[in-house]
Amino acid sequence: MKVITLQRRSINFKSFIPFLSAGLAFVVGAIILYAAGVDPINAYQIMLKGAFGSIRGIADTLVKTTSLLLVGLAVAVAFKCRIWNIGAEGQLYMGALGAALIGITAIGAIPGLALIAVIAVGFAFGGSFGLIPAALKVKFGVNEIIVTVLLNFVVLLFISYLLHGPIKAPGFNPYTPEIFPASQLPIILPHTHLHAGIIIAALAAIAVYILLWKTKIGFEIRSVGANIKAARYAGMNVAKSTFVVMGVSGGLAGVAGAILVSGVQLQLLEGISPGYGFIGVIIALLGRQHPVGVAVVAFFFAALMSGSQVMYRTLGIPSAFADTLQALVLIFVLIGELFTRWKIKTKIIKESGSSAISVK
Amino acid sequence: MTTNTDALKLGRQRYDIKDGEPLVQMKSITCRFGNLIANQNVDFDLARGEIHALLGENGAGKTTLMSILYGLYRPETGEIYVRGERANIKSPLDAMNHGIAMVHQHFLLTPPHTVTENIIVGLKSRKRIFLDTSNAERKIVELSKKYGLKVDPSAIVGNLSVGEQQRVEIIKALYRDIDILILDEPTSMLTPQEEESLFAALQSMVDQGLSIIFITHKLREVMAVSSRVTVLKNGILMGTVKTSDTNESDLARMMVGRSVVQQISGQRGGGGTESEVVAAQAKKSQAVLEIKNVSALNNSKILFLKDLSLELRKGEILGIAGVDGNGQSELAEVIAGLRKIQGGQIIMDGRATTNLSPREIREWGLAYIPEDRLNTGLILEYTIAQNLILDRWYKAPYSGKLFLNEQEMRKFAEKVIADFDVRTTGLEAQVRSMSGGNLQKVVLGRELSRNPKVLIAHNPTRGLDIGATEYIHKQLIKQRDSGVGVLLLSLDLDEVMSISDRIAVIYEGKIMAVTDNENADVHTIGLLMGGNVGKTGFQKTSGIVEKK
Repeated sequence: MKVITLQRRSINFKSFIPFLSAGLAFVVGAIILYAAGVDPINAYQIMLKGAFGSIRGIADTLVKTTSLLLVGLAVAVAFKCRIWNIGAEGQLYMGALGAALIGITAIGAIPGLALIAVIAVGFAFGGSFGLIPAALKVKFGVNEIIVTVLLNFVVLLFISYLLHGPIKAPGFNPYTPEIFPASQLPIILPHTHLHAGIIIAALAAIAVYILLWKTKIGFEIRSVGANIKAARYAGMNVAKSTFVVMGVSGGLAGVAGAILVSGVQLQLLEGISPGYGFIGVIIALLGRQHPVGVAVVAFFFAALMSGSQVMYRTLGIPSAFADTLQALVLIFVLIGELFTRWKIKTKIIKESGSSAISVK
Repeated sequence: MTTNTDALKLGRQRYDIKDGEPLVQMKSITCRFGNLIANQNVDFDLARGEIHALLGENGAGKTTLMSILYGLYRPETGEIYVRGERANIKSPLDAMNHGIAMVHQHFLLTPPHTVTENIIVGLKSRKRIFLDTSNAERKIVELSKKYGLKVDPSAIVGNLSVGEQQRVEIIKALYRDIDILILDEPTSMLTPQEEESLFAALQSMVDQGLSIIFITHKLREVMAVSSRVTVLKNGILMGTVKTSDTNESDLARMMVGRSVVQQISGQRGGGGTESEVVAAQAKKSQAVLEIKNVSALNNSKILFLKDLSLELRKGEILGIAGVDGNGQSELAEVIAGLRKIQGGQIIMDGRATTNLSPREIREWGLAYIPEDRLNTGLILEYTIAQNLILDRWYKAPYSGKLFLNEQEMRKFAEKVIADFDVRTTGLEAQVRSMSGGNLQKVVLGRELSRNPKVLIAHNPTRGLDIGATEYIHKQLIKQRDSGVGVLLLSLDLDEVMSISDRIAVIYEGKIMAVTDNENADVHTIGLLMGGNVGKTGFQKTSGIVEKK
């Protein structure tokens, strides 16, 4: 008799399986490239070179890592409390708006204070915007997914209005004036775009780890996320956790926006984020809502993005291919997760009633 | 229970194994889940026209063995013969084709659908597109009359009582023309009266040629209905005996390897003389929890607790008997502050705790063992230490101003593990990997270490084996003896009767009566649990539902 069973794995494969899965995603990507008439090996070489082949390439990858790490952390913090924040994109834009408002006004010209204000106001704008879905959820039980998704559109339209009117720079184009130099993040690697934002993002990752795993409020947040019934029964404050988490989550996304303004574009414009807030959801999921995981995935996705830009410039492969690869990676890694924990086993069993089975 | 003894006699008249070969034979069945051996070389046979009880503690492998017969699991080794022929049962459908059906402990019905729809689901209809309900209804009524299983084919299943739903499940099986019926713990949610009517129906089924396998862990039921009994322990066959050749204490010894019947029943009212004195004092001592005319809504926003009043005294165990879903959960939750009170007042040790937050009530002196230890009492992905501080993580010594104190958490965990004899898989392991009894000890350790004034224990031993049950009962009694007011809400009437000092019966969100344990008798309590005051009859028991 043949029996197929799912068996729990004894050895911990967790570390390398996701990479294997991602590799398989690239194999499928190669088939797509081949079908499009491109030599996949050549394309991947160019991609790899683009992301890591030069100082500028590495710098570009790290700049993108900064944004992705912050939004990934933002979404991960909320997920840890089982709150689905799909509004990181909107919160990012609010943070960018806050940063720009500081950067183009008097405070933005004061050296030292300006940068602190830019980041802090970015956090505050994003965070307070995150509190709206939190309040609606706590007070009226409104599903936060719907609210956060819809608020993205509200913010984008609101910013579009501001850029076409009240805070528009002189001229035709819908963007703000450039922020004061005192509000700009310093370049930490000469002759590249790499700015000090990467340090802020790394500190944020450490802070999130400490917040969630070492502090009292973190314990409350994780308990509410793991089992809201048990948390409530034990006397925990679910409303407080929701507010704290959404404030921090929105704040981190806001900082990502502030850094885009003060480190990358030096002004606020429409389309300042190529959908970082949404990629953040994927990053948080793949990174298992842990800062280390999120950092690894963010770096990987950043390399994918900067590499595929070079691929586009060199071979004319549309950058949508990078999106395709991201999606493939997500699918493969999630399937890989299943086999990390379980293996399929086929057993042939003798049909006789013999008692060959021993205890343990 | 005279009906039960009648049933017993009738059952034995039908019993005759020598009359031809066994209907079902399971030979040398072995089944494992990972390292856990659920069944090891188990032999089982069922004779035509008998009620065969399958007895064992929780986790003894009874349900696994029957799930194999029903095609839900496949054994690693072993053979099954039905009607003398080798049967290869791969799915419940195969089992049905062999004339075997199983009624599970938890019903598999669709609540919004009618009885008829639930019964004919999955069957081919003679009309191609439309449901053939009228013919089906006719057949259901026939079956219902034939076996004395009263159901209304057009009733919505969600509106039926547990007993009625069980009858629907049984008819659903009979509708498929089976003659071998497996019942998994069929009495676990029934009132004594519903139980009697079930036993009568089972008797009429075997009288008309059906054969029944009756899974249970209750000795009384084995003695009452079965003609033979097979006992399992830790997945191993302990033996098969004629019910007439054995008695409750012999069976108990086979089931657990020691005689526990006396021990459990001996706990009634205390056990030792010392605690009898304390129990006597309790009668005079003052109330520690007063519930005055409390009303509250249930989860569907319907007024469920109506003007409920109850008084719990210091140093007593007040047992609340009742059929599941009559307000026990709501009552526990309003006391714990987890459910808002619409009207009335709750006073705990002199202070009105009405609508205070759960944390404030706990701080004032409540400990609460919730009914669902897996989903409410614990966070399964947490370690023991983390689970133990769920209710006190915010205060010293478990945390400082900002950070948790992991050293103190560990120390506390080690203390509870030692004090409550918790068998763990390691301090760093998720509690998910622990057994039910040990999980309950973790909950118990956390709640009792609060030094409470009031302890709510809601189904504290549900699903636990006899050893763990005994331990928990001893702990509850110990709390009572040290002056804590213990409110025991339990669906297990035997449990309520064996350790309570006073017994209250809850029905439809109201307390029907409160009495001292000495004055309580099963029959009266059973009637009160069914909402009857003074009258017998089964129609009234389903009254729970007509209200909804």
